[in-house]
Amino acid sequence: MIGLNTLTYLFMALTSVISLIATYLAVLEKDLIRAVVYSALQSTAYTILFYLLMAPDIALVYVPVAVGLYPAVILFLVKKTERIDGELGSVEGDGGK
Amino acid sequence: MNVKKALILVSLIILVLTLSAAFTSSALGHYPLPLSGVRWLASWYLYTTLNPQYPKFTAMSPEAVTAIVWDYRGLDTLFETAVFFLAIVGALALMRGISLKSLAESNETTTEGAGSGLSLISKTAAKLLTPLIIAVSASIALHGHLTPGGGFQGGSAAAVAPLLLLVIFSVYFLLRRGISEKPMLTLRTAGLLGIYLTALAVVFTGLVTGVNAYVFQNQPKFDAPVGIPAYLFNTLVSGSLFLFNLSEYLAVAGGFTLVFILLSIPEELVMSLIRGEEHE
Repeated sequence: MIGLNTLTYLFMALTSVISLIATYLAVLEKDLIRAVVYSALQSTAYTILFYLLMAPDIALVYVPVAVGLYPAVILFLVKKTERIDGELGSVEGDGGK
Repeated sequence: MNVKKALILVSLIILVLTLSAAFTSSALGHYPLPLSGVRWLASWYLYTTLNPQYPKFTAMSPEAVTAIVWDYRGLDTLFETAVFFLAIVGALALMRGISLKSLAESNETTTEGAGSGLSLISKTAAKLLTPLIIAVSASIALHGHLTPGGGFQGGSAAAVAPLLLLVIFSVYFLLRRGISEKPMLTLRTAGLLGIYLTALAVVFTGLVTGVNAYVFQNQPKFDAPVGIPAYLFNTLVSGSLFLFNLSEYLAVAGGFTLVFILLSIPEELVMSLIRGEEHE
């Protein structure tokens, strides 16, 4: 019989691994819009971790900042420059669409 | 994703899991793990945060985190707020000289059509969600002295609502409804003024009544017998904590909205204005 604490720790380990995968994908991804989505996925995993580690105040500030405001700033930036990383000028006029 | 990247990912996961297993089982040596009990400092905060029997020590708030943020270490939070608003001042300085009002008027006719913004489904969902976001953020901020949350948490949650409208409709939708830079600047300044007045309120009271008082004081202390009342109409407002949360809520919501409106100004307009300044 697995106790509730052990289950919580296992779930936290699973969430941490999800955040690790999401971070790795966000670093590798050339399409910046998809990278932002991976980054938001990592933030969601962190929010669950903060909540389980009994820091609801941090979780409350982490949800709007990391899932709402921060991706929005990055998306505005991507819109003003170009969507694909490392291919200068190849997507001229497509970045804003 | 090719095989090499997948292999790197799997080895990363194995590395992290092995390291954490080794750390937990003390195979890497005995590192001081966090204690399981409540530490001395934490138990002091928990003991005094809402304890009317010790009126000279208590912060009169059941939420220890908000009490620490705005009372025990209030000056820290003041400077954090200052750093955040210096960043907004920087954004405003970059975008100086751009008149949003003329921008909204010049686009009056072009943006009313069905072609602007995202689909009807997104627009309807945004219309339903916006009041909910504002209500939740207000409850986070105004209950910040009772439940987890506070001014910054509530303010940043409230800023998601105009952001949603900005992305799903357009910047002109917000500007035509009066959510432009001037009202947001006023909201932000009103919030900052509220923080300033709350921080100095007890000092003014002390000056008027002729007793000792401190900046950022909340409840009466041993050598400073004045303070902000903890109860208002028999409701616990925790003295300055409620006022700080309310002010910070207005300031952060206004500040974030201001930055997003500035960021969403079309690039061509900004560039033409910056180039125009250079030629003069």
